Amino acid sequence: MSRKVVEIAGKRLFLSNLEKDLYPSYGFTKAHILEYYRRIAEFILPHLKDRALTLKRYPEGVEKDFFFEKRCPSHRPEWVKTMDLRRDDGERMTVCLVNDLKTLIWVENLASLELHVPLARVGSPETPDSMVFDLDPGDQANILDCARVALILRDLLLELRLTCYVKTSGKKGLHAYVPLNRKETTFEDTKNFSKAVAKIMQKNYPDLVTAKMAKEHRKRRVFINWSQNDSSKTMICVYSLRAREKPIVSFPLSWRELETFMRQHDPEKPQVMHSNAVSRAEHRGDLFREVLVKEQKLPHL
Amino acid sequence: MAVQGIWSGTISFSLVAIPVQLVKAVEPGHVSFRVLHSKDYSPLQRRMFCPEEDRIVPPDEIIRGYEIGPHQYVLITDEELESVSPERSRTIEIGEFIDMKEVDSIYYDHPYYLVPTKGGEKAYQLLVEVMRRTNKAGLAKFVLGEREYLVAVKSTEGALALITLHYSEEILADEDITPREGKIEVEEKDRIKKSIRKMMADFEPGKYADDRRKKIVDLLKKKVKEKALVEAPEVEEEEGGGPPDLVAALEESMRKVKKSR
Amino acid sequence: MAAKAIWKGNLRWGDFNVPVKLHTAIKEDRIQFHLLHKRDHVKLRQQMICAYENKPVSTEAQSKGFEIEDGKYIIVDPEELEQASPESGRVIEVHEFVKTEQIDPLFLERVYYLEPDAYSKGYNALVGALKEMDVEGVCTWTMRKRSYLGALQTSGRILRLNTLRYADEVISVKSLELLKIPLSEKELKIGSDLINQLTGPFQPQKFENEHQKKLQHLIERKARGEEIAVLRPRRLKPTAPDKLLQALEASLTKVA
Repeated sequence: MSRKVVEIAGKRLFLSNLEKDLYPSYGFTKAHILEYYRRIAEFILPHLKDRALTLKRYPEGVEKDFFFEKRCPSHRPEWVKTMDLRRDDGERMTVCLVNDLKTLIWVENLASLELHVPLARVGSPETPDSMVFDLDPGDQANILDCARVALILRDLLLELRLTCYVKTSGKKGLHAYVPLNRKETTFEDTKNFSKAVAKIMQKNYPDLVTAKMAKEHRKRRVFINWSQNDSSKTMICVYSLRAREKPIVSFPLSWRELETFMRQHDPEKPQVMHSNAVSRAEHRGDLFREVLVKEQKLPHL
Repeated sequence: MAVQGIWSGTISFSLVAIPVQLVKAVEPGHVSFRVLHSKDYSPLQRRMFCPEEDRIVPPDEIIRGYEIGPHQYVLITDEELESVSPERSRTIEIGEFIDMKEVDSIYYDHPYYLVPTKGGEKAYQLLVEVMRRTNKAGLAKFVLGEREYLVAVKSTEGALALITLHYSEEILADEDITPREGKIEVEEKDRIKKSIRKMMADFEPGKYADDRRKKIVDLLKKKVKEKALVEAPEVEEEEGGGPPDLVAALEESMRKVKKSR
Repeated sequence: MAAKAIWKGNLRWGDFNVPVKLHTAIKEDRIQFHLLHKRDHVKLRQQMICAYENKPVSTEAQSKGFEIEDGKYIIVDPEELEQASPESGRVIEVHEFVKTEQIDPLFLERVYYLEPDAYSKGYNALVGALKEMDVEGVCTWTMRKRSYLGALQTSGRILRLNTLRYADEVISVKSLELLKIPLSEKELKIGSDLINQLTGPFQPQKFENEHQKKLQHLIERKARGEEIAVLRPRRLKPTAPDKLLQALEASLTKVA
């Protein structure tokens, strides 16, 4: 198995198992994965910055076992930035912060194909930067149904003077983010707000939307998982790979694109593959940038 | 600053004061488990419980008491506790320096690092370098949490380490176990020295791993393979839309949205 | 009257075998408080509470789980944990010897005294050898189902085992990301002089647990019904970098 040394920003990194095929039915090796993340780095890093990373590692590839790692692996290089958190039970835990390219590459060398981060930054873990609507299609529903829901949600939120941005989850659903970026916002605010919105959506579109988690309610409907608005929850980071058969990416879509996909009736169309992700981002920039900077206030709370 | 501090204040010696933060120097390697409710795997939390009222008591209803007799307590508030040693709570005053070689390792309790906070970087470096050159450590008393410690501040690899020490009254006497027979068999001693010479090496702690930890991690990996994961339940939601203002606004907006579609 | 030993083991390396008995060396002195209910001073008990039901849960209804992801756990039975425990044995295996000064205090955990178990000429000879060569033995052993790493050292005429932390348990200085700031030789010289002036012999017995004594005093006063005035902690003003030389010189004058 090959081992290679690279130098990034003056630091040496040992990369291992570069020819290991981690997406065997498609053919995408560790080297390919590192190359993807290297190229997408300038777009993904601002969204990872200062957030407690949860690694999802697939050391033997997407068809074999994975494991989540919330604690920063103790065998890390000394330049990996970390933060100490205190959990509910009083225990202290050290987490990784992926704030630069070399740390991103180090994490990817550990086969953390998927990068999951919380909605709040590590310095203010109870202050969400945005509110999220995690649209998850139940059995017999698909991403196009999610698109329908997302468009209604967009219009509803616009009435309340809130702008939202949408990305594919990279699996079956969509994530709509409402940037807030205000230090007064709490998870209680975002959870209550998103819950109220989810219930109104369910009330008005009962055959399309459900706000309830229980399986029997979700058949043929899109579940708006408002409970993701919590300090203990994480979301797949935008531009992260997904551990599916093919290296599909959680990618931001414009509203126009979403409307077009809906008209085409093809649930595969909205999915973005690794190569497209890089070229689209390089061509059009970070469509999710506003999620990090736009300041909005939740009304009526 | 990458690491959150445990305490922040000033370290001083004579008229030099350096703003610092106390951070961890060691991280326990043991695998930690959460305690869960067997029936539904929801995580449990430690809380104080009043056996008389048979209920959980919130922190603002709790007070410390020192038992002076059966059911007789002297109550102490947090402010009174802190007032007992006010000078020392925010400062580590180094009164004297000692040669590290004179400190018996039996005194060492728990290590921390000190890192400089804004404005203190230069003075900090100076103390680190000077203590390194003179091979000395500073001795001070320091209150952290509820206790006052005797601490040694030493220079290590370009940083300051603060190690809490046991008070001499806490160190048990060893007279009782010291062998009465002081005689040393020289031949035996030489044999031992010979074997020591053969087994000399440089200290590399990385060579040694915690067996039990490794076995537990292997056990966990095996269980993940078998997909033996359990999930805690989601909290049940009560009926009701939410804050009335918000619900009203949402309903109004919804009407408009539906009309335009 | 010797205290009862907490464990028995055999130091072993090459052809050598030295039986010993472990004794604790530290006894911590602390004023203990009880937590009470403010209104009726009832002694509170710590309980494990189920967050959802808001009720205490008995130990029989508790399970140990390793959190692998939000809300997802791997349950471990007490029997499985038991099996993961290392084989218990009585051997304290000495793997190598190192120069005493090589072991950084950050690795040192706790000292145990070793009493010779039944007269063996090995014990005294070992004390002599270690002392004369100024070395410590690096050992591993299993005690009460836990794996230990330790340093075999001497003190006076006895042997001691100083447990050590594992390498990955000590945080490296590099992770602190300290800035390197240039210092002038003058500052370094004055600083060194100051430290040497303030140097004395290590006399730990002159340090008393004052806080403990003050706390005791506070408790006695309150028990007598006295009023207590609460003081605020004073925070020292930090020395500005350009004033550092001045402060050092002033300190030296003060000390000399």
